[in-house]
Amino acid sequence: MALSNGSAANVASRLQKELMDIMTHPTPGITAFPSSENLTTWTATIDGPTGTPYESLVFKLNFEFPSTYPYSPPNVTFKTPIYHPNVDFSGRICLDILKDKWSAVYNIGTVLLSLQSLLGEPNNSSPLNGQAAELWDKDMDEYKRLVLARHKTPEELDADAA
Amino acid sequence: MDHASLVFASVFPVPSLSHTTPTPVATPDLGYTAPGSSFGSPFAGTSGAEQHHVAKRNSAWSTATRFLSLPRDANYTGLRTRRTRDVDDALNYLLVGAGKTPDGAKAEEGLVGWYTNEVRLHYAKYVRPDLRELWEKEIPLSDTWETLEETQRILDHAQKFYLHPFDEHIVPFLHQDASNMTIRVSRDADTVDAGLVEAAKSKFQRDMQAAFSHSLPSKRFSKTLSHVLYDAGCRLFRFYIRQDGVQPSAAPEDTNGVRARMTTLLVNLQGVGLGGEMAQKAFAHSMDKIIDTFIGSHYTKVDWFSKASVVPSMRNWVENGFRPLAELVLKCLQCQSTNVDSTQMKQWQEMALARLGRARVENLFDFVINWDRSLGAILDLKEYLKLDGAKEFLKNHFSRQVSRRLLHQGATTTYILNVYISIIRAFHRLEPKGVLLQSVARPIRRYLKDREDTARIIISSLLIDIEDEKGKNIPLNGELSYEIASEMAKPFAQPDNVDDEFNWNDMNWQPLPHDASPEYKKSKIEDVIYFLLTLWDREDFINELKNIFGDHLLRCQDPEFQLEIRLLELIKMRLGEEKLQACEVMLRDVLESRRINDAIRTAAESSNRRELILQTPRTPRSKALRPRPQKSLSISSASPPALALNAQILSSFFWPVLRDDDFHVPAEILSLQKDYESRFERIKGMRKLRWMNALGESRITLEFEDRTEEFEHLAPWQVSVIYAFQPQPGEDPSGGGKGISRTITQLEEMLEMDESLVKQAIAFWIGKSVLRETSDSTYIVVENRSSTDNPVDSDAAAAAKELAEVQAAQTSTVKSQADLLSEKKDVYMSFIVGMLTNQGNMGVARILMMMRMMVQGGFPFAEEEVKALLVELEGKEKVVGLGGDVWSIKK
Repeated sequence: MALSNGSAANVASRLQKELMDIMTHPTPGITAFPSSENLTTWTATIDGPTGTPYESLVFKLNFEFPSTYPYSPPNVTFKTPIYHPNVDFSGRICLDILKDKWSAVYNIGTVLLSLQSLLGEPNNSSPLNGQAAELWDKDMDEYKRLVLARHKTPEELDADAA
Repeated sequence: MDHASLVFASVFPVPSLSHTTPTPVATPDLGYTAPGSSFGSPFAGTSGAEQHHVAKRNSAWSTATRFLSLPRDANYTGLRTRRTRDVDDALNYLLVGAGKTPDGAKAEEGLVGWYTNEVRLHYAKYVRPDLRELWEKEIPLSDTWETLEETQRILDHAQKFYLHPFDEHIVPFLHQDASNMTIRVSRDADTVDAGLVEAAKSKFQRDMQAAFSHSLPSKRFSKTLSHVLYDAGCRLFRFYIRQDGVQPSAAPEDTNGVRARMTTLLVNLQGVGLGGEMAQKAFAHSMDKIIDTFIGSHYTKVDWFSKASVVPSMRNWVENGFRPLAELVLKCLQCQSTNVDSTQMKQWQEMALARLGRARVENLFDFVINWDRSLGAILDLKEYLKLDGAKEFLKNHFSRQVSRRLLHQGATTTYILNVYISIIRAFHRLEPKGVLLQSVARPIRRYLKDREDTARIIISSLLIDIEDEKGKNIPLNGELSYEIASEMAKPFAQPDNVDDEFNWNDMNWQPLPHDASPEYKKSKIEDVIYFLLTLWDREDFINELKNIFGDHLLRCQDPEFQLEIRLLELIKMRLGEEKLQACEVMLRDVLESRRINDAIRTAAESSNRRELILQTPRTPRSKALRPRPQKSLSISSASPPALALNAQILSSFFWPVLRDDDFHVPAEILSLQKDYESRFERIKGMRKLRWMNALGESRITLEFEDRTEEFEHLAPWQVSVIYAFQPQPGEDPSGGGKGISRTITQLEEMLEMDESLVKQAIAFWIGKSVLRETSDSTYIVVENRSSTDNPVDSDAAAAAKELAEVQAAQTSTVKSQADLLSEKKDVYMSFIVGMLTNQGNMGVARILMMMRMMVQGGFPFAEEEVKALLVELEGKEKVVGLGGDVWSIKK
């Protein structure tokens, strides 16, 4: 694949291809869809993995694709407030593949899968939310309570936004 | 005299009105003595002279008026006696002498005034009733001439009667008076003198005629007169369609007679004072109607045969027919200017043209449909368009006609296209610059764009050959437009790209029309195909073209693909070469397939030790190849003879999505395919072939016990199904004496074919009386035609044939919209679900918009399909309708 300078058209066509892939091979518990006409911002939804404190919760995320995508990672944030060691209170995520470990072979689907697994297996060695990292190891009940306290359903989110 | 003064006079007697009792001649006026003077004789003092004067005047007045009084009876024809001496004296005294102007006398108190009044009274009493009788009721059209003539006669008579005493008894004295007055003043006594008398006389006449004309109902009179003039016009110009409902007589009118009668009537009416403004108004009115009628009767007939405009002859009529009539009438009515000048006449011509134009515009749609026999009408309109406001009028009316008569569900797309082509041609003639066409065609183009089958009809029509080898027109079915096909057959003139705004040698240069819109592009193109090809965005059109072109290439019988090559070249010229790469590749594919076929067959046959002329094989440059079997095979119940197989090798990347049903082809074919494949791979360097069994065409021969039949143009699945009725290895060929029978399920399993396709094939073969249903879903081969010639079977065959035809119509090589929808339904549904999950609740319209934007390869469906998908998703409990077209994800 020739390294292109990533003009807007190239980004758009790559993203459209990804969209088609997601649609033709949907993964359960994960969806994503562009929210702007030029496809550079997306909204994604992941279900909390079973057997974790996030079970049966639904999280919305925001994707912003730079014009250099896929050679640089998208900017991903949680729209739904989440209590998690690797996510801060404004929704920013600390995940290596979204930073220095990014590679052009990743795509929206793989990012979402990684995030889904991050929910069940937080990286407590480099927490953004120290309290959460601590509680994860020490007091799971309190942790669960805080997760539920912070969580909002998409409807509540919509209502807040409105 | 008006009513008010009559009333006044009845209370306060005015001498000129109440003179019936003459002052007794015998009683002298003795006068009276002024206060303070001595009582004396009647002749004393100046006042006596005054008194005498009054008495004399009174007596003269009495004599004169008695003499001049008109007879008090209805018979006012009697002769007047000569005037006696004392009457002479009295008249002389009153008109010439001292009695002329009594002190403080008003004008009407003179004798002339008195006589005028006398005439009025007489007229009111004795003449008017006759007229009233005549004019009281509405005048039937047939009596208008007679009524006017009678009126004119009565008035003429009355006028003569009134004028006679005036001329006889008053005018001489007036002359005398005038000469007395002027003798000292002027040397031109005679003329001045005559002038004064004339003035007095004409004043009298005017007053009298005013009485005449006031006594007639003015509206009715002017209507009647205008009808008479109209009638005269109609007769003179021999109109055969009239607006007043009078049937023109079949016999040729005596135009000279009519003209004379009209002239006489007009002159006489003018003579009794019924000309003037009122008559002129009536005349204007009738002129207007004459122009209308004339156009209606002579010129709304379009010149269908010589296809020429009628405008020149109409102008000629206005100049040489209408103008003389108008001048004649004006002369009769004694108008100031009886000459119609050329500006006036131009105005008339324009008026006539405007009327003609409007009449033409009313029927413009019909003219367009009947183009080009209606050329004459269009040329008329061309003249009409030069007038002010004509363009707007035409645009509005024609648009209305188009939307009422063309753009509705009842009109087929082919019809609309044909009419559109006629419009293009007709309007090009009407206005070569094309501005008008652009504005009237806009709604049609918009409408055509919305019709689903437009592109298909255009492109398929472009691809047909309208003439067979003998040059005869072949009949077309309703789906194809003959107009488009014949346009295509015309030689194509390369539009010269010279910008002729800068072509100084162009002697036919014209400025742009002032009403051209800003985006108006100057195009000299009269080329119908150009308009059709530009109906859509280039991309959309090319996509559609790709589909139809592909389908057409696969069906095409012509081994040289002449038409297709030509079409492609034409479209390239118009749309640009770079966009049509896919079509070019498709065309090249089919052409090269032939060469490869030849090469492979030659190789195969040489290995089979058989000779065939060899054609140089060429290496196609196509990347991925998708072969299509075109086999010609024959099946016989005994050992099959040599089969021949030709393949169409298609570059999969460039072709539209094609039907791709999987099923088993007969084993012989399969082995041929394998053989072909291996040879192909040898030629093309290990490129793979993937067979698309759903496409293709076969010819087979079926041998039955009692007959042999050949079938051509069969689809492979049809062949496969009938081949499945061959006895299988290990099967009793006689099928237990009854022949081989198969059920649908069996066939499905044997061929791994879709049930619907199996059923279609079965229906086809039943229709051909090859198969017969023995019991429910079980079929056998009809080996003996004669034994099955019973009505039940032939009915079943007929029914099945119909079914097969319907199904065949629905089965095309390129996937239809419905196929595409059902195939991609899952993707579309996950799109919708993804959209609703991530973007929240949405309306159908917004979903459709997002789909169109987001789905790769486009989303060629409308709201209806989106709704259907949503309803289906609702059934699967994935989404819920929130009402009002808004949908949400099911929680």
